Amino acid sequence: MADVTPLESEVAGLIVETLDLKIEPAHIEPEAPLFGAGLGLDSIDALEMSLAISRAYGYRLRSDDPQITETFSSLRALCSAIARCRTK
Amino acid sequence: MSLGWRRQRERGHRLLLATIIRIALGLGRSAARVLLYPIVWYFVVFSGPSRRAARRYLARVLGRRPGPSDLIRHFYAFASIILDRVYLLTGQFHRFNITIEGLEVLAARLGEGQGCLLLGSHLGCFDVARACGRGYGIEVKLVMHEDNAPMIRAALARLNPAAVTDVIPSGTAEAMLRVQECLARGGVVGILGDRVVSPAHIVECPFLGRLAAFPSGTFRLASLLEVPVVLFFGLYLGGNRYAIHFELLAERIDRARPDRAGAARYWTERYAERLEHYCRMAPYNWFNFYDYWGEEDAVNTPGGATLARRPAERLPT
Repeated sequence: MADVTPLESEVAGLIVETLDLKIEPAHIEPEAPLFGAGLGLDSIDALEMSLAISRAYGYRLRSDDPQITETFSSLRALCSAIARCRTK
Repeated sequence: MSLGWRRQRERGHRLLLATIIRIALGLGRSAARVLLYPIVWYFVVFSGPSRRAARRYLARVLGRRPGPSDLIRHFYAFASIILDRVYLLTGQFHRFNITIEGLEVLAARLGEGQGCLLLGSHLGCFDVARACGRGYGIEVKLVMHEDNAPMIRAALARLNPAAVTDVIPSGTAEAMLRVQECLARGGVVGILGDRVVSPAHIVECPFLGRLAAFPSGTFRLASLLEVPVVLFFGLYLGGNRYAIHFELLAERIDRARPDRAGAARYWTERYAERLEHYCRMAPYNWFNFYDYWGEEDAVNTPGGATLARRPAERLPT
């Protein structure tokens, strides 16, 4: 877990808290899929997560963003999008 | 819980549906309706699993042992609605006698620019809702599972390409962002709430005398987006008659409620109650031709072990 960035561990904490997951934030593999097979999140989880990200970082995820599938693919991809687009 | 519809995937229905569409476009409604009889007979005789599922449902809703005429009537109603979808999707509303009840429930909220979730079912016809949207310039989208009869969707897409852009496929991570965006524009998003898609969000509700699993995700969605939930039923009454019913289910689903699982249960049960009410009103309109109550095999929970949570722990907020 040495290669996890501070933003990644912060966002992992946000995801676990927002979705009330029964795992430790540190157990979210940064490159593992968040949806479907990996953490087993669904599209309503994605929405709830995006609402929390919008509140915390001022970054509103949009479905018409051509990168959206990539953004949702893993914690790492999500965090690089947050780093790029955050307004707070 | 029954995810049976996904396994069955309307396999047998595909040929039936494709045939009906072809006849509908080639011959017109009256001729097509006559031709539906042999098609329906063939289907009733050769489609064992669907027939068994229909018989089980009919016994519950009618409170007696269903006879062959009940089965024929049930499948004929299904075939008729498929046929009529061809005309509804091509905007031929003049063919139908449609009564609408409760439209003011929806209109009042849309008039204020408020988006609404429209919660429907596989009882009757959802496309008949298009008759209501006509002329109002309101954006209407429907959340659909993409596994559901892709061939039929492709065929219907050729009839009305706009019908495809109106569909939000439920399987992608960003699906609910699209729902959020449509509602924020003051649009209507339809969801069919009677089939379980994910084992993670279900509530077992009494339904026609036995517990059945219902998805509760819609109520979590409504609470996150703070939008009203309006029930929709488009019932086929025979001939060219349809009756549309709108009903307000919830102005707001309260997120702050301390008992979150209890709230999910409460609203899902209210939905199941209303669905049962309308099933009794139009019993042959039920188009879930699979083992709805999960009576054939009780253990039926795929993929649960790999999830970060157990299904029962995550109920809508």
